[in-house]
Amino acid sequence: MDRRELKKINTRIKTIRKAAQELKDFSGSIPAVDRNAARILASAKMLEINISDLLEFTSRN
Amino acid sequence: MRSPKKGQTPYWNSVLETLPLETLRELQIKKFRRIVEWAYKKSKFHRKLYQEAGLKPGDIRSYDDIAKVPKVEKSMMRDIQRKDPFPYGDALCVPLEEVTEFRQTSGTTGLPVYQPDTWQDWEWWAEAWAYILYAQGYRNTDRVFLPFGYNIFVAFWAGHYAAEKVGCEVVPGGVLDTEARVLKMQELRATAMMATPTYVLGMADTAKKKLGIDPARDLSIRRITCAGEPGASIPSTKQRMEEAWGAKVFDHVGATEIGAWGYECTAQPGGLHVNEALFLVQLEDIDTGKIIEEPGQKGKVVITALDRIAQPCIRFDSKDVAVWSEDPCPCGRSFRIIKGGIVGRADDITKVKGVLLAPTAIEEVVRSIQGLSNEFEVVVTKKGDLDDITLKIELLPDEEARREGILAHLREQLRLKTNLGYNIEVHPFNSLPRYEVKARRFKDLRKHG
Repeated sequence: MDRRELKKINTRIKTIRKAAQELKDFSGSIPAVDRNAARILASAKMLEINISDLLEFTSRN
Repeated sequence: MRSPKKGQTPYWNSVLETLPLETLRELQIKKFRRIVEWAYKKSKFHRKLYQEAGLKPGDIRSYDDIAKVPKVEKSMMRDIQRKDPFPYGDALCVPLEEVTEFRQTSGTTGLPVYQPDTWQDWEWWAEAWAYILYAQGYRNTDRVFLPFGYNIFVAFWAGHYAAEKVGCEVVPGGVLDTEARVLKMQELRATAMMATPTYVLGMADTAKKKLGIDPARDLSIRRITCAGEPGASIPSTKQRMEEAWGAKVFDHVGATEIGAWGYECTAQPGGLHVNEALFLVQLEDIDTGKIIEEPGQKGKVVITALDRIAQPCIRFDSKDVAVWSEDPCPCGRSFRIIKGGIVGRADDITKVKGVLLAPTAIEEVVRSIQGLSNEFEVVVTKKGDLDDITLKIELLPDEEARREGILAHLREQLRLKTNLGYNIEVHPFNSLPRYEVKARRFKDLRKHG
């Protein structure tokens, strides 16, 4: 997989994180939204560990 | 019938698992600095530890700087726990409200250590295990049976969640007894399972003797993942398990305080890959503390979980002993290999009659001899000023006629592999203790007077 494809994936990961964080912030008094958004954020972190953390190094390969 | 997807890759993450070593190093340094910064900022325990060593997170600029960071031992965790924020003490880096998981160590070497995890940490546990299971061939075509007590010990909990993540169908065999578990595996045609080597052998024994079921012939298990004991990396024990079940047996290594950090892949290169994307593993010379990079030299495993946040594991002195392998793995992963898995414990390797002895060497000999049961026990005592070592074994019921030959072969192999002479005690079959979890077959009674 080349850097361009990884960057595309990373863009989507950022979108997920942003949307999940906004959901959590907007959840108000609805725990069902707050807690499910928290779980999405945890999954977003796994995507970052698998892809995003690496991006700054692959630019040099 | 569960059908496989076509064209599946052998890697859980083909990018990370095949990174050139230099890139992997850069990634590790970045992540190491990040977790040290996190712990320094969020935990009084870590801040104090680093301040006393005159270290700030910004001081870590290169791979060599990592060794400047003080190590953490299990005893230090015991000292700070059972205090506020209760029960974890001040190594906790998140508000208590964010902790969603509790596990604890087995307490084999003292008071148990408590391990808090956030939901993100728990996802991370499953992620680390997903690397393991995928490398061992688990796919959405597998029905995985987990015959372990789902309780306060982490054991195969994360294996359960990882199997789900990989897409397997998971059958929790929690409170069933051994016979019921075997029957359920047969009924459901389970294709894979996870258990300690001791229990893998014990289940096969029970299946044959009590149910008349031969697991290799009558069950569908084709893949077994082991943990908790080194047996799956000891060739003779692995062979016994594979023959008993007609399955490939894979090892993995992990710990409650660390995570699941190493695994055997389907190429079975004679060792375990270290997951170097999620962990930083260094081998330290046991006497000098010097970092060992070259293959072939035994060292103590010092390990950092690079992404675990609730109670970080930074430069944890695991006391495990390992050796880097010189050979790359045909599977194509660039993650380095520890040859033969965990080859000992820094606190287990003991001198008997002036000779360094690792209990795993005795296990390898006993399990390699046809005619002996899977169980044994080693007892070291003192007679006057002299060490005395007794090995208790069991002959299989139909092997009495070969007794003298078997014992002579055992003595010869023990002398050859451990350089020691033993008092051999033959016990009736099925009389030595059987274990379901961590077996305690080595008893050094010299320390108790």
